[in-house]
Amino acid sequence: MTDTALFAAAARPRTRAIAPSRGRRPWTFYALATVFVAYVIALYGPMVCIYILSFQDVKGGLVFPMKGLSLHWFIDLFTQARTGDVKGSFSRSIKLAAMVTVITVVVSFISGLAFRRRFWGDTVIFYLMIGSLVVPGLVLGIGTGLLFTALGWEASWYTSALGAQLSWTLPFGVLVMFAVMSRFDQAWEEAARDLGASPWQTIHMVIVPILAPGLVAVGLFGFTLSYDEFSRTLQTAGSLNTLPLEIWSMTLNVTSPALYALGTVTTIVSFLAIGACLAVIFVMQRRRAGSAPAH
Amino acid sequence: MARARGDIELAGISKSYDGATYAVDGVNLRIPDGAYCCFLGPSGCGKTTILRMIAGHEDPTSGEILIGGEDVVGLPPVERRTAMMFQSYALFPHLTVRENIAFALRVRGLSKADRLRSADAMVEKVRLTELAGRLPGQLSGGQQQRVALARAAITEPRVLLLDEPLSALDEQLRVQMRQELRRMQRELGITFIHVTHTQLEAVALADLVVVMEKGRIKQAASAREIYSAPQDRYVAEFMGGQNVLAGNVQSLDGATAMITASELPAFEMPLGAGSRVKSGDAIDIAVRRDDVELRRPDGWVAPAGRAALPRRVLAVEYQGNFVKVMLDAVGQDEFVAYVPERQFFAQPFTVGDVVVATWKAEHTRLLV
Amino acid sequence: MLPAKLRRNLVSWLYISPLLLVILPFFLLPILVVVVASVFETDGFGGIIPTFTLDNYAGILSSSLTLNLYYSTIKFTFLTWLFSLILGFLIAYFLAFHVRNKLLGIGLFLLCTVPFWTSNVIRMISWIPLLGKEGLINRGLMGVGIVQQPIEALLYSDLAVVIAYVHQLTIFMIVPIFNSMARIDKRVVEAAVDAGASRFDIMRLIIIPLSKSGIALGSIFVIAIVMGDFFVVKVMSGGGSASVVGAFYEDIGVLQYPPAAASAVLLTVVLMAVIGVILRTVNIRKELTQ
Repeated sequence: MTDTALFAAAARPRTRAIAPSRGRRPWTFYALATVFVAYVIALYGPMVCIYILSFQDVKGGLVFPMKGLSLHWFIDLFTQARTGDVKGSFSRSIKLAAMVTVITVVVSFISGLAFRRRFWGDTVIFYLMIGSLVVPGLVLGIGTGLLFTALGWEASWYTSALGAQLSWTLPFGVLVMFAVMSRFDQAWEEAARDLGASPWQTIHMVIVPILAPGLVAVGLFGFTLSYDEFSRTLQTAGSLNTLPLEIWSMTLNVTSPALYALGTVTTIVSFLAIGACLAVIFVMQRRRAGSAPAH
Repeated sequence: MARARGDIELAGISKSYDGATYAVDGVNLRIPDGAYCCFLGPSGCGKTTILRMIAGHEDPTSGEILIGGEDVVGLPPVERRTAMMFQSYALFPHLTVRENIAFALRVRGLSKADRLRSADAMVEKVRLTELAGRLPGQLSGGQQQRVALARAAITEPRVLLLDEPLSALDEQLRVQMRQELRRMQRELGITFIHVTHTQLEAVALADLVVVMEKGRIKQAASAREIYSAPQDRYVAEFMGGQNVLAGNVQSLDGATAMITASELPAFEMPLGAGSRVKSGDAIDIAVRRDDVELRRPDGWVAPAGRAALPRRVLAVEYQGNFVKVMLDAVGQDEFVAYVPERQFFAQPFTVGDVVVATWKAEHTRLLV
Repeated sequence: MLPAKLRRNLVSWLYISPLLLVILPFFLLPILVVVVASVFETDGFGGIIPTFTLDNYAGILSSSLTLNLYYSTIKFTFLTWLFSLILGFLIAYFLAFHVRNKLLGIGLFLLCTVPFWTSNVIRMISWIPLLGKEGLINRGLMGVGIVQQPIEALLYSDLAVVIAYVHQLTIFMIVPIFNSMARIDKRVVEAAVDAGASRFDIMRLIIIPLSKSGIALGSIFVIAIVMGDFFVVKVMSGGGSASVVGAFYEDIGVLQYPPAAASAVLLTVVLMAVIGVILRTVNIRKELTQ
C-alpha cells in the first residue's frame, strides 16, 4: 500500500494537467480550441460573404456594403448572354458528374475487391494509381488533348473530359475503398459461401449491403471532385464548357455580383449532394445502430 | 429414408501454403457419425486448418476427406452438407436475427414466407423469439452465439464445424454455452467438430478428443483416456494435472519393472499388457498430481508398492477446494501435489518443510 | 497448386481491368504522348513535326525565366505546405485528443470537411470582398485607425496566393492526420504521462511518430496540388506572380505544344522526385489497407 499509493497520488494531478483525454482541461485545450474556432471562421467567413453579396440589387458591387436586396443577379446569370453559357455548362457539369459518380462507385468497388489480396503486378498498378492522382492535371489534360488530336478524334466533355476526370476520381475512390474495406471481415464472405451463396449472391446480399455507407461516400467524392474539376478538364472539354471552366472565364471578365450568384448556386448544389449523401449514410447507420464487426 | 451419414474419415491429409513447411502433416483420423469431437492444441498447431479443410474453405495439398463414405475434396460447402460456425460468429451486421438465420434458405431461392416460417421455428429452438427482429449489434455475446448456431443448423448439415465457438465469451457464459452446445448436439443428432485451445472445454464436451501438435495428431481418444492415460510427455503436459518425470527402467522382472528417476529411489511397478520397454530404456513417467500424497518424513518408510520422493516445499497456493503444493524440481521437471483442502489444513505445510511425496506404484504411467 | 494460383491471379486481374481501362488510356498514354511531344519540333502554328530534337529542353534549361518560375512555384509550395501542416496538425490533434464527446468530434470534423465538397474556385474568389482595397479587412483596420491608407498588398499579392492555398488545402492535411491520430490508443499517452513524460516529450516521442503516415499522405496531396496548379497564382496574385504550370499554359495558348510538353515533363519529374522522397519514409499502401 505505501510506495505505490504515494506514487499514484503524486502522479495523478500531473496526469490530469497533461493528458488531454481525461481529467481537468489543460491550458492547451483552450489554445487549440481558439485555433480551431479561428480556422472555422476563416473557412466559412469568406464564403458566407459572397453568398450575402450575391443577393444585392442591380446597383451591387463586388465588396461590402450591401446595395439593396434582390434576386437580380441570379436572374441575370441565367438570362444574360454576356455572362456566358451558364445554363448549358451547368447542365453539362451535372450530367458529367453523374456519369463520373456512377463509374467511380462501380469501378472503385470492383477494384477494392481485387486489392484485398495480393496478386501479380498489384504494386505496379497501385503506383500507377498514385501517379495518376498526383500528376499535374494540366499535364494530363494536354496529353489527353494531344492524344485525341493524334488519333483524329474530337475532344468533348463526355469523352475525353470524362476520361480525364476519371483518371483523378478513380484513384481517389479506390483509396477511400481501401479504408472502407479494411473494416470488412473476410469471415462474412466465407460465412455466405458456407451457407450456399454463389459469388454473385455473396456480393449483392452481403458485401454491397455491408459496405453501402462507404460506397455512398465514394459516390460523394466522385460527384464533387468531378463537379469542381478544372485543370484536367481545361484542355479536354472540347468546344463546350463545363461549369468550373465557365466560372474561370467569368473571373477573368465578369466584374459583377453575377459571379457571386453563380458561387451561391454551385454551393447550393454541392450542399444538396452532401446533404443527400449524409442523410442516406445516417439512415443506413441508424438502421443497424450499434452494430459492428464482432471483434 | 435413412439420415445421411455424418461419419468423417481423414486419410493422410496434408496442407502446405509454401510447399516447404506443413501446417497439417499427414493426418489420419476417423470420427464416428453423431460424435462430439474436439480438436485441441495450442495456436498454430493446424487444428483450425483441418476444420477449414473439412468445411471446404481450404483444399488439402494431398490426402482425402471422406464424409459419409464419399470423397468431398473440391466440393463446395453446401454439397458437403457441412456448416461452419465461425470464430466471433461472422453474423451479417445488416440483417436481423431472423434474416441471418434464413440466409441459407434465401440463397436457395425459397419464397419469403417459406423461409421466414422455417427461420422462426429455428429461432424458437434457440430461444431467441423475442429478439428475432434485432440486429446482431444489439445482442450479447451469448445471444450472438445462439444465432450463429441456428444459422448453421438451418441448412440441416450432417456435420457442424465450430471454430473456437466459446473464445469470445466471458468465463461464466462459457460454461453455460458449453452446456447449450452439448444440448444442441444431442437434439440435432449430428456430428460436431469443435476446435479449441482450452483443455477444460474439450474434456467437458467431447466424446473424442484429438490432441494436436505442429500439424500432427498426438493422441485421439476419449477425454477420460487422454487425461488418465496420456500417450506421451507432450499430451500429459498439455492436458495438465500431471507430474512428468524423465527416468529409466532399471530392471525387468516379468510383468513388473524397477523404475527410477533422478533423486527418485527405485520402485517396483506393474507393467500393462503389451508393454515393450526393455531394461535400461530411458522413459518418461507420469503421475497425476491428485494421486500424490504428502507425508512428513519423521521415520516414515514407504511400504512396498509405493513410490516415495523426498522433497522440500517450494510454494503453496490455495485453490479453493484443494491446495496446490509445489515441491523442488526433480531434475528439469517441476513436481506438484494437489492436496485436498481439509486434509491440508488439518496439518498445514509451510515453505521450506521437508516432505515425502508418495503415490501408489500402480498409479504411475509409462509414457513412450 | 499452380493452376489455383494462376486462377486467383486471373480473377484479380479481371477485377482490376476496369480500373486499367481508365488509367492506361487516360494517364499512362497521355504522359507518354507528352514525353514524345517534348522531343519533337514545332512548326510554330500548333503543328508538331516528328523530328527528334532536344531543343525544347535546351531552351528551358538555358532560360533564366525557368529558374524564376521554379523559384516562385517552390516558394508557394513550401509556404503552403508549412502553414497547412501546422494548422492541419493542430486541428487534427485538437479533434482527436481534446474533444472527448465522440459525436461532437465527428460533428466538428464534418464541419471542417464540408467546404471541401464545394467549388474551389468559388472559395478562392470569396476572398475578394474581404482582402480587396475596399474589402472588410481594410475597412476594419482603417475604422480602428491602425492604418490610414488601405493596404493594397492584401489582395493580388503573394500573401493572397498563400492565403487562398492554405484555405483550400488545409483539409488535405486534417483528414489523413486525424485518421492516423484517431488510431493512437489514448492509454499510450496516459502511460507516458504516468512515466513522467512532458508535454513536449509526448509530442516528439509518441504523437508525431505515430501520425507520420498521415503527415506524409497530407504532404503529398498538398505538394502535388500546389505544384500542379496555376489558377490560384494567376487570379490571386493579379498576374503579378508566375508559376511553372501557368507558363506552359501560356505556351499552349500560343500553340507551342513541344516546349510546353518539355516543361510539363520537367515539372512532373521534379514533382515525382519530391513525392518519391516522401514515399520512402512511409509505406502508404500498408497504412491504407491495414
